[in-house]
Amino acid sequence: MKDAFDFSDFSRAERIGLLIFSLFLIIFPWIGASSFLKAVMIQFLLFSLFGMGWNSIGGYGGQVELGQAQYVGIGAYTVALMMVWWKVPFWLSMPLGVLIAVGYSCIIGYPLFRLRGHYFAIATICTSLVLKDIFENWKLVGAAKGVELPIHEHPDFLYMQFKSDTYYFIVALFYVALFYMNRFRRSKLGYQLRMIKDDEEAAESLGIDLRWCKIKAYATAAAFVAVGGGFMAVYNLYVDPASVMDLDLSIKIALMAMLGGTASLWGPVIGAGFLVPLDRFLGSWLGGHKGFIGLDFMIYSLLIMAVSAYQPRGIWGIVQQFFRGRT
Amino acid sequence: MPFLEVAHLRKDFGGLVANAGVSFAIEEGEIIGLIGPNGAGKTTLFNCIVGYHSPDAGRVIFKGKEITGFKPFRTNREGIGRTFQIMKATTGMTVLENVMVGAFSGVDDRHTAKAQASEILDFLGLGNVSDYHINELPIAMQRKVGLARALATRPQLIMLDEVASGLNHTETDEVIRLLRKLNTEKQITIFLIEHIMEMVMSVSQRVIVLDGGRKIAEGLPADIVKNEEVIKAYLGEKYARSH
Repeated sequence: MKDAFDFSDFSRAERIGLLIFSLFLIIFPWIGASSFLKAVMIQFLLFSLFGMGWNSIGGYGGQVELGQAQYVGIGAYTVALMMVWWKVPFWLSMPLGVLIAVGYSCIIGYPLFRLRGHYFAIATICTSLVLKDIFENWKLVGAAKGVELPIHEHPDFLYMQFKSDTYYFIVALFYVALFYMNRFRRSKLGYQLRMIKDDEEAAESLGIDLRWCKIKAYATAAAFVAVGGGFMAVYNLYVDPASVMDLDLSIKIALMAMLGGTASLWGPVIGAGFLVPLDRFLGSWLGGHKGFIGLDFMIYSLLIMAVSAYQPRGIWGIVQQFFRGRT
Repeated sequence: MPFLEVAHLRKDFGGLVANAGVSFAIEEGEIIGLIGPNGAGKTTLFNCIVGYHSPDAGRVIFKGKEITGFKPFRTNREGIGRTFQIMKATTGMTVLENVMVGAFSGVDDRHTAKAQASEILDFLGLGNVSDYHINELPIAMQRKVGLARALATRPQLIMLDEVASGLNHTETDEVIRLLRKLNTEKQITIFLIEHIMEMVMSVSQRVIVLDGGRKIAEGLPADIVKNEEVIKAYLGEKYARSH
């Protein structure tokens, strides 16, 4: 538990950076940002949460996972459907969604982790797409049209219905995730996963049950991502397979963490901080102009290629390289 | 009851018979050498005992418990540690962290694991390289890290796959000293595959010889070097006849 709040093994610059960043997060709603900017900020925090979750299996464990959207979907649908069907409050349905996601990840994780490398990556894409297909054709859950959440007339804390404060809620989730990962990276499981990433054969000889370790990390990722999914449901007041279960979402989650720097605490946050605004601003500036449609995606992908070609350890790797070079 | 008993162990890959009914026993506290020409099935035998391969026939019994076909992580939990012929020159974790992972097999707490790992590193004389990455170390040290990592899991039997290959004379002598120290001070039974005859003969109390997947001899080092069949296996038919 103590490890969660212990940042002492980071450099001073990193700790000061975290402090400034935290202050910025707290005062952000009062600096008079436009609603567009506020939406970008919420997206950034949400994707940081997703990325940190992905980092447990994809970063520390080195298993390239490209199906996180299925857990976003499970989290989002659980919250949305329970609210529509039985008026279950968010605070009850969200944890339940997490439990379902964790259970589901263990069940499909068991056969999935027989596979390694590219085969594992492909299989995770497949399971996610199958789940999306099922939801698109399942009449009971709204099929492709999705589920609309009822809008309450008055702000309602139980159902997380007050637009203005959802910002602080996602900030809180972000910190829970950050502290959890700070503990995770130095936990027994964290070390064992890094060993698995380095050398699976040797890891096995050191008494590590590869499959069980990977399932535990995968379930951790699923839990994080399902929390974000639940948040998406109450934030958008609308859930459909295309927005919460798409392959595009899975890839974005993995990409942000990889671009920021895998297996580091800051990596996913930096990746999200870089890609979410880029995606949004490029989209709104260029996407609307005639003749420029699609140009934003090109710039977006070129930047990703440039970073990954220059430093496989992502943006955080570049920053570290820069400072090491100077001292 | 022997400490480790291997009975009629058989393993083939397609048509190739790697181990054809190998039987032997090891007593607690012994240092046993396993030798044989290239392709004799030494590493396959190791892998069948530890669990990287599951044997096609035969049994492996460790401390009276049948462990045939156990996965490597389970044989490790039973008390068998192993090192590899080739250490992957990884960059992800430091030497200390590598050894900590070994220690984590017995403890859950990071600080305890760290203390145990440091103690083992000091015991093997690696205390000064604990913050290096494996790829930054010379091969002799890499091997020792592999040994330290395995020792951290607190094995009662340690199986070493060519721990001295690629080492020079002084380095080999040091490894021999270390193995004897492990055997006497930590009461660890040692089972080693080795190519360097000089080393096997000086460190082992008993030697098992494999050739073509079969056990062709077993006995004291002094007898093994004089054994007809062993000389034939190593140096060829012609050499044996002319001497």
